[in-house]
Amino acid sequence: MHENESGGGPEGDGPVLRVRGIDKSFGALQALKGVDLEVRGREVVALIGDNGAGKSTLINVLTGVLEPDSGEIVFEGERVEFTSPHDARERGIETVYQDLAVAPQLDAVANIFLGRERRRTGLLGRLGVLDQQRMRRETDEQLEELHVRIPDPTKPLSTFSGGQRQGAAVARAVMWASKIVIMDEPTAALGVAQAGMVLDLVRRVRETGIPVVFISHNMPQVFDVADRVVVLRLGEVVAELDPEKASTEDAVAAMTGSLRGEESA
Amino acid sequence: MSKVTRIGRRMSRREFLGVASAGAGVVFLGACGGGQGGGGESYRLTLIVGVTGDEFYTTMECGAEAAAKELGVDLNVQGPEEFSAAEQTPILNAAIQANPDAILIAPTDVTAMVAPIQSAVNQDITVVLVDTTIKKEELALAGISSDNVKGGMLAGEALAKQIGEKGKVMVISVKPGISTTDQRQQGFEEAIKKYPNIEYLGTEYCNDDPTQAASITTSTLRSNPDLKGIFGANLFSGQGAGTGLQQAGKEEEVSVVAFDASPTQVEDLRRGRLDALIAQHPNDIGDKGVRIAVDYLKTDKEPASKQITTGFTTVTRENLDKPEVKEYLYKAEC
Amino acid sequence: MADNKTGQGESRVRRRLAIPGFGSAFIFVILAGLVVAFSIMEGTAFLSAENFVTIAEDGSELLLLAVGVTFVIITAGIDLSVGSILVLSSVIAAQTMVALSGTPEQVHNFQFPNQGVGIPVGIAAGLLVGLACGLINGLLVTKLKLTPFIVTLGTLGIFLGTAEILSGGTNVPYVPTAVQTSIGTRNLLGFLPVPIAIGLVVVILAMLTLHLTQFGRYTYAIGSNADAARRVGIDVERHLLKVYTLSGFLAGLAGIIDLARFNTASVGAHTLDNLAAISAVVIGGTSLFGGIGTIVGSVVGTFIPAVLRNGFVIGGVQPFWQEVAIGIVLILAVFIDQRRRSAEERM
Repeated sequence: MHENESGGGPEGDGPVLRVRGIDKSFGALQALKGVDLEVRGREVVALIGDNGAGKSTLINVLTGVLEPDSGEIVFEGERVEFTSPHDARERGIETVYQDLAVAPQLDAVANIFLGRERRRTGLLGRLGVLDQQRMRRETDEQLEELHVRIPDPTKPLSTFSGGQRQGAAVARAVMWASKIVIMDEPTAALGVAQAGMVLDLVRRVRETGIPVVFISHNMPQVFDVADRVVVLRLGEVVAELDPEKASTEDAVAAMTGSLRGEESA
Repeated sequence: MSKVTRIGRRMSRREFLGVASAGAGVVFLGACGGGQGGGGESYRLTLIVGVTGDEFYTTMECGAEAAAKELGVDLNVQGPEEFSAAEQTPILNAAIQANPDAILIAPTDVTAMVAPIQSAVNQDITVVLVDTTIKKEELALAGISSDNVKGGMLAGEALAKQIGEKGKVMVISVKPGISTTDQRQQGFEEAIKKYPNIEYLGTEYCNDDPTQAASITTSTLRSNPDLKGIFGANLFSGQGAGTGLQQAGKEEEVSVVAFDASPTQVEDLRRGRLDALIAQHPNDIGDKGVRIAVDYLKTDKEPASKQITTGFTTVTRENLDKPEVKEYLYKAEC
Repeated sequence: MADNKTGQGESRVRRRLAIPGFGSAFIFVILAGLVVAFSIMEGTAFLSAENFVTIAEDGSELLLLAVGVTFVIITAGIDLSVGSILVLSSVIAAQTMVALSGTPEQVHNFQFPNQGVGIPVGIAAGLLVGLACGLINGLLVTKLKLTPFIVTLGTLGIFLGTAEILSGGTNVPYVPTAVQTSIGTRNLLGFLPVPIAIGLVVVILAMLTLHLTQFGRYTYAIGSNADAARRVGIDVERHLLKVYTLSGFLAGLAGIIDLARFNTASVGAHTLDNLAAISAVVIGGTSLFGGIGTIVGSVVGTFIPAVLRNGFVIGGVQPFWQEVAIGIVLILAVFIDQRRRSAEERM
């Protein structure tokens, strides 16, 4: 579970996650070409690029959904191989997928604890009996701490609006992430107010020392919250921008190819 | 929060309407569907057939209803959708709850129905077995059925005559374990033993499904293209055999003798798909069943004979319209 | 600031109602309405403990099937083979009992010297068959990745055909009558028929499992979004295997009860049991799309048609009207329940 005090990633000890020379092809199509990326503690990295640039593919490699054809993944200084999302999750990497991956007929508490249910102690626990009160309590506490508003954690998610459902999915990832939170288009379906809440949440996560990597098409939001903007184009990293110094036009130019190479301020 | 309760209140009015209409529907159906609304002093009888929708049982129902009317007693007719003990038992149990004076029943399994019928007898309800029987037949006041062995023999002789006393023949029956069709099969087999030039291919079971009977027919024809005759041991078996022959285009070459004379079978007979029908007298079975029960209820004297057999009529294209034959053709409604 | 906390009053009450899974309370109302209507029309012929006991007993097999199928349907699957599993289990159980209870000669004369061994072993055999059939269904669904509808449609034929081959198409004769007297027609404590007692135990265990355990939660989760379940690390295939095995086991148990009640394995019967079980589950509020359902609902759904039939037979209503009425009630019940549910949901 996410704990505020412990302080997630190693700060200043080196990057939490580093990938080098990542290649990934699907048949004739090369989706990723020699991608290098670093994610350090206490930062928010935005991954942007046009459609087909390879953003989702890169995310899938980082979260263990796909295995790269070549290249290496170094996690906290150690070479690792993720053969499944489970491997990534075990390391403390949590993901909010674009399609949310929630079970709409279940309530927020059940979704948040999905796959990680708390059981009762003793014999009942061994029989699989859930400790529903405890899960409810922990959910309430964590949501309170993260300032996340969910209308009623005991109603099925299908009774929530799209935005509220997204809030629950984000809360789930944030609660369980101990090392990195990765989000694929987290504000895509949200109205302004709710998007603002998600961005606040991203900042709060960063405060605790855990880095956030997110894909987005929304330039204003990206420039608002990110510390670094990594631009992908046709499977390669074409630019890394500092949002304080670069502009959204620069970002768009990099995405579409009217600018080449790294732009450092 | 308040929105939720508002929705709740709105729905509960709809819910109320739903329940009210369901309840009203039930009451309405009960009133119009329920037959003879309690005549006070007269005896109440319940007839439970083997399966609904079968014209044999419908004709039995007609005979029973006519007798009931004449004797001034109440008759409630029920039956399962499937010829099985699991379906018939709840109906029998419910009928027992209504506490009639007598129950006439065509048991759907010779072993399985013993226990439920025993429970009726334990409650002092007179039981009369119609058509089929059970292992412990002494539980019942009497049993009325066709002499199915004899019927089978008649069928065997009729088929032998149709095919010129030589060639391959087969039987299509319902399923083993039903007393009536087993006996017919038995009688048929005995009869054709007497014809040295007739080759008996055996019996197949169609589970009382005419579609299955049809496919049994067509597949037998493929492996035995020189098949000459089929005996369908009950209504659906015979019907299905006729259809199967038509599908295979073999109506001319293969003769079919079928048990029972439903309207469809009579039509098939007219058109040449079937060649002879052994009609039972279900009307008489129903009629006699009611009379025996009422006699006993009135006089408390057991019938002279506990086993009563009813007769047969062999129906062919030639005698089909004669009045003495016509009255024994089965009815689809009374 | 929104209030997420375990609030007072309303949410606490809702939680208490939610735990035992009394989701579709409305179906109760329909059942109660029917009971009241029939009681008014037919008096003590309908409204008697004896009648209710026979209704429960006659429904005991379908109840077991419905409970098993509830789990399957909540995972957004379906099991059309339950009737065939029932038959196959009862056939194998019966034949085992007959084979082990005495020599063929003894048995044909209704003597069963070894029935103390024959009967329990037969029962165990029948239950194992149910388990095995369920396992086969589960393996075909998870390994071949075929839709459950197709798989169980196929196994419906395979299991039934096997039963017919083994029994020769006949109802198995010479089953020791002790099976009937000690299970089928026996009353515990003088009034509770064993089939009902077994049904009660199964229903209670099923309720506890479905609503209080991880197994139950995974069942709902997989039905709601199997992909999401997979992504959070739930072994969906393994769970489905267990669910189909459970359904098969309960169908096997129903087969034993059928054998005990009628003292024979009825091969030609139970052909429509699969539809009856699915109807019961759907009437009870379980969604065919998965993720929603309760055991209590399925219990009520089992008895609504049973009460209708019983009430109509007692009242002397023509059989065909009974089927019309049951069809109407099914549609009405599901319609109202769905309207209520979609009023709560958004999108």
